[in-house]
Amino acid sequence: MAYKVCIIRAPGTNCDRETALCIGSLGIEAEVVHVKRIMDGQTHFSDFDGLIIPGGFSFGDHVRAGALLGKILKERFGDELVQFSADGKPILGICNGFQVLVECGLLPGRGALGALTTNLSSHFECRWVDLKVEESDCIFTRGLRRGIRLPVAHGEGRFLVTEGELQEMTEANQLVFRYALEKGEAAGGSYPENPNGSVEDIAGICNKAGNVFGLMPHPERAFYRFMHPRWTKSDDADSWGDGYKIFKNMAEYIRR
Amino acid sequence: MKWEVRISYKKGVLDSEGESTLSGLKTLGFNNVDNVKAAKVYLIEGNLTRRDVEEMCERLLANPVSQDYSISEVK
Amino acid sequence: MAGPISLDVDDTGLIAISRDMQLSLSLEEMKALKSHYHALGRSATGIELETFAQTWSEHCCHKTFRGEVEFEGRTISNLLKTTIAKVTADLNPDWCFSVFEDNAGIVDFDGDTAIAFKVETHNHPSALEPFGGAATGVGGVIRDILGVWGEPIANTDVLCFGPLDYPYKRLPAGMKHPSFIYKYVTAGIGHYGNNMGIPTVNGAIYFDESYVGNPLVYCGTVGLVKKSRYKRVIKPGFSMILAGGKTGRDGIHGVTFASVDLSTEQERSVVQIGDPIEEEKVRRAVIEIRDQGLGSAITDLGGGGLSSAIGEMTELGGCGADVHLERVPLKHPGMLPWEIWTSESQERMLVCAPVDDVEAILGVFADEEVEAVVVAEFTEGESLRLMHTDTVVGEINVPFLFGTNIRTLRVATQPERSFSEPSVRSTDPGADLRALLAMPNIASKENVVRTYDHEVKAQTVLKPLQGLDGPGDAAVLKPLFDSYKGVVISNGMNPEYGKIDPYHMAACAIDEAIRNNIAVGGRRIALLDNFCWGNPERPDRMWGLVRASQACYDVALEFETPFISGKDSLYNETELGPITPTLLISALGVMPDIRRAVSMDLKETGNKIFIVGATKDELGGSHFYKLKGSLGKNVPKVNAREAKASFDALTKAIDSGCVRSCHDLSEGGLAVAASETSFAGGLGIELDLDKIPRKGELSTEKLLFSESQSRFLVETCDSAAFEKAMAGTVFSEIGRVTGDKRLRITAGTATVLNIDINRLKGSWKNGL
Repeated sequence: MAYKVCIIRAPGTNCDRETALCIGSLGIEAEVVHVKRIMDGQTHFSDFDGLIIPGGFSFGDHVRAGALLGKILKERFGDELVQFSADGKPILGICNGFQVLVECGLLPGRGALGALTTNLSSHFECRWVDLKVEESDCIFTRGLRRGIRLPVAHGEGRFLVTEGELQEMTEANQLVFRYALEKGEAAGGSYPENPNGSVEDIAGICNKAGNVFGLMPHPERAFYRFMHPRWTKSDDADSWGDGYKIFKNMAEYIRR
Repeated sequence: MKWEVRISYKKGVLDSEGESTLSGLKTLGFNNVDNVKAAKVYLIEGNLTRRDVEEMCERLLANPVSQDYSISEVK
Repeated sequence: MAGPISLDVDDTGLIAISRDMQLSLSLEEMKALKSHYHALGRSATGIELETFAQTWSEHCCHKTFRGEVEFEGRTISNLLKTTIAKVTADLNPDWCFSVFEDNAGIVDFDGDTAIAFKVETHNHPSALEPFGGAATGVGGVIRDILGVWGEPIANTDVLCFGPLDYPYKRLPAGMKHPSFIYKYVTAGIGHYGNNMGIPTVNGAIYFDESYVGNPLVYCGTVGLVKKSRYKRVIKPGFSMILAGGKTGRDGIHGVTFASVDLSTEQERSVVQIGDPIEEEKVRRAVIEIRDQGLGSAITDLGGGGLSSAIGEMTELGGCGADVHLERVPLKHPGMLPWEIWTSESQERMLVCAPVDDVEAILGVFADEEVEAVVVAEFTEGESLRLMHTDTVVGEINVPFLFGTNIRTLRVATQPERSFSEPSVRSTDPGADLRALLAMPNIASKENVVRTYDHEVKAQTVLKPLQGLDGPGDAAVLKPLFDSYKGVVISNGMNPEYGKIDPYHMAACAIDEAIRNNIAVGGRRIALLDNFCWGNPERPDRMWGLVRASQACYDVALEFETPFISGKDSLYNETELGPITPTLLISALGVMPDIRRAVSMDLKETGNKIFIVGATKDELGGSHFYKLKGSLGKNVPKVNAREAKASFDALTKAIDSGCVRSCHDLSEGGLAVAASETSFAGGLGIELDLDKIPRKGELSTEKLLFSESQSRFLVETCDSAAFEKAMAGTVFSEIGRVTGDKRLRITAGTATVLNIDINRLKGSWKNGL
């Protein structure tokens, strides 16, 4: 049986195609599904083995980035998605998808609330960042040890939670990626290494079980080495980029 | 019934838009500006009670981690 | 506007009608209408006159470029056809799929996939409402690509502003300050492109005092076309579907507005804020319609709105049409028929289709939540009938509308000006270099570039910032998942040279656009021209326009680079005067394998540095002279024949794999290029000026800062292979890459410069 991942989109989603190409090239069928089709009951989340919420500006990011899609998912399909996650199926939210996961409460999970709010620079910013990979149970980052480099492109990526929640998340190993200095240690809030002012340099988090993962950086834009800003310096244009492993892990986990 | 909903950053959450507007205004020579806060305003019309509008804020318009809301009726 | 308008009046009356209705039609044109209606034996209706005004406007029919010009004792008939378009006609390359015809130029790429490229300007709207003007400029040019059934894949933006430190006191009342315009234009561009998910991969920002109050906003979009799905067929009986945003009163008279000087009393209603999410939905639907093989023709709604789009479609089909204006979904109830007909509301497309396709097409639009309605049917005959709820509000003869050719006669006269070379020395070349790097036109644009998403779609292989944030010469995209073929996008623009001679400005812009493309590995280059000029009714401006057009012919022909599309924006004048003549050349190249792409940052200590091309006493209009407060006389000139030989050789060298980095020499000359390549690589560089191939005796500062064209700095890991590829061209080994992070320039044994590259980078990064 072929495994299938749902790439959900809403008006304004714009990274669905390249995201589908990444997971699709790993032997998993990627179907881009308009959220309207889910709302109309033509398609169900339960038909799929995994879910990706790709980047973009869903519903124009009006109200707040990811809020409208997040609340639709929460209020219309909350139970279904909680079940999806409880079944151990992987959910990946990239950039706007991370914002959606936070707005709909799947992240940080446990009923806790987070926010991805306006960058401290108060503007949209596109740059490659160094990421420190934290110890976690995240199934998407298995085998990632050393720091990696991925691009961010967002205006609202400053992750905020209450202090109590931050502690719980830390204790539950839910911090997955932190913005880092070139040498590898966490950025300590320094700009531009931490491009948005996220608390504790948080760039990506997972739920407690590790199968729901949201991150501001774009792994699909780092799938091959030739997407890296300094690929011309070395001689390995053809090799995999730092984002590849995240999709590879998702595919392997689905096939487990 | 017409309601005005104002969404602003919670105290303690840095209002970067307000801050950058402040510095922008100062650059333009408005030296007496001390503080700028940015907020988003929705005008909502319909047969709605204050409670309805509160619920809108709680369910969609404001994120309680980072945002406060205030509601006033527009006469 | 409602009742019939009799044109049976004298010349004064005709002029008054044109003025009162803001038609911007000349007396000659009004007289042609008068005799047309006389023959018809009736009065005109308002909506009919509006249609003529739109179709005959400068914006839509390019009166100046297609008219007649008196120039140096002869009459040039159709400047466009005899210069720019003639390059393409003379070269007639088999890889040009569609040129100068449709909404964008289209060239072959890979099998059935072709590339479309279009660049537009949105200057006047951006002067009035910088955010909305720039955003809708981006939205408009994206629709041009949709209008050739193209899938947009990348944006380019070249922006010109007044100096950011322009004194407020000198600003005329009502004119917006350059820093305000700069802030909101760049925000508008980022907003639209980012929201639509189209990466902004190439561009430039240029400052000059003449752009105060009249910024230039060039917006370009590249797209992919499937040749087998490229259709332009219209027949009587076919339907016209209007899809996208609702139609409102916004943007009425935008087109005729482009033909008058910018003055403060113009209404705000001509500008508008765009909705990129709406356009993103329209984009998805259009591509789906294309891929399903539905529809027979498509066009965007731009200047003139429905009146231009439907008019052009009827002309293309050689037929008539019945238009039902009451079917158009409206933003504002109660809009008058002529308002609906000429509204320039954004995010709208017109799809033509045989009746059998209509339902399926409406279904695709509905799936994307895009409003779409059949607004018109094509008819036999040649009458364009405009109806509003069963009432005919206008009836226009299509051949008359498009066939009436009132040649505009312009006069071109060379202005009396004299130029001289200054005697400036560089007593401290290091300080001068740092000052040059901090000049706004040279300084890093990173703060703007990073507010644009240049990575979305995951196709950007060479980015706007290369190495450690150095300024890339060109962008390289890999648009097909299963092919290594690349699309190469670059531009060239030299307004400073135009102050001395528009001919050489144009020649240099072409050379720069091409050499930027060559530098990264591009080839088989097609060009786009975008002229922004002052009032062409003034003989001195017109003279410059003719000279620049002639250079386009001479130089592009020699380079064998056809023009595939172009646009002009004239009348760029304010009460402060005209803008300096500005020609943007955009270049579209291809490369067989993106893995051979070359970036501009130094790669490895020990590699040899070569300079390609000869250095001459050419600092007229240079940034070094500008820094010293002079303009000069010796403007750089292009020897296109020599340049072509050297560009071809460099392409061979790049393909052989021996080129590790390559950077073109432009503003600031050798010293600036060496600094940029050096700090972008985080490595030092050592150069000996004595080894530079040159024409004539050149002082140290001229060797450092001359802006002679067609030159590159090349880093090679294999000097022998490089020398072999370059044999027969002008080049020389002048230095090497060092590990000590210093820029060291000598003249033989004498040290000219020795500076830490991070200091240079600091000047460059903090210039803006």
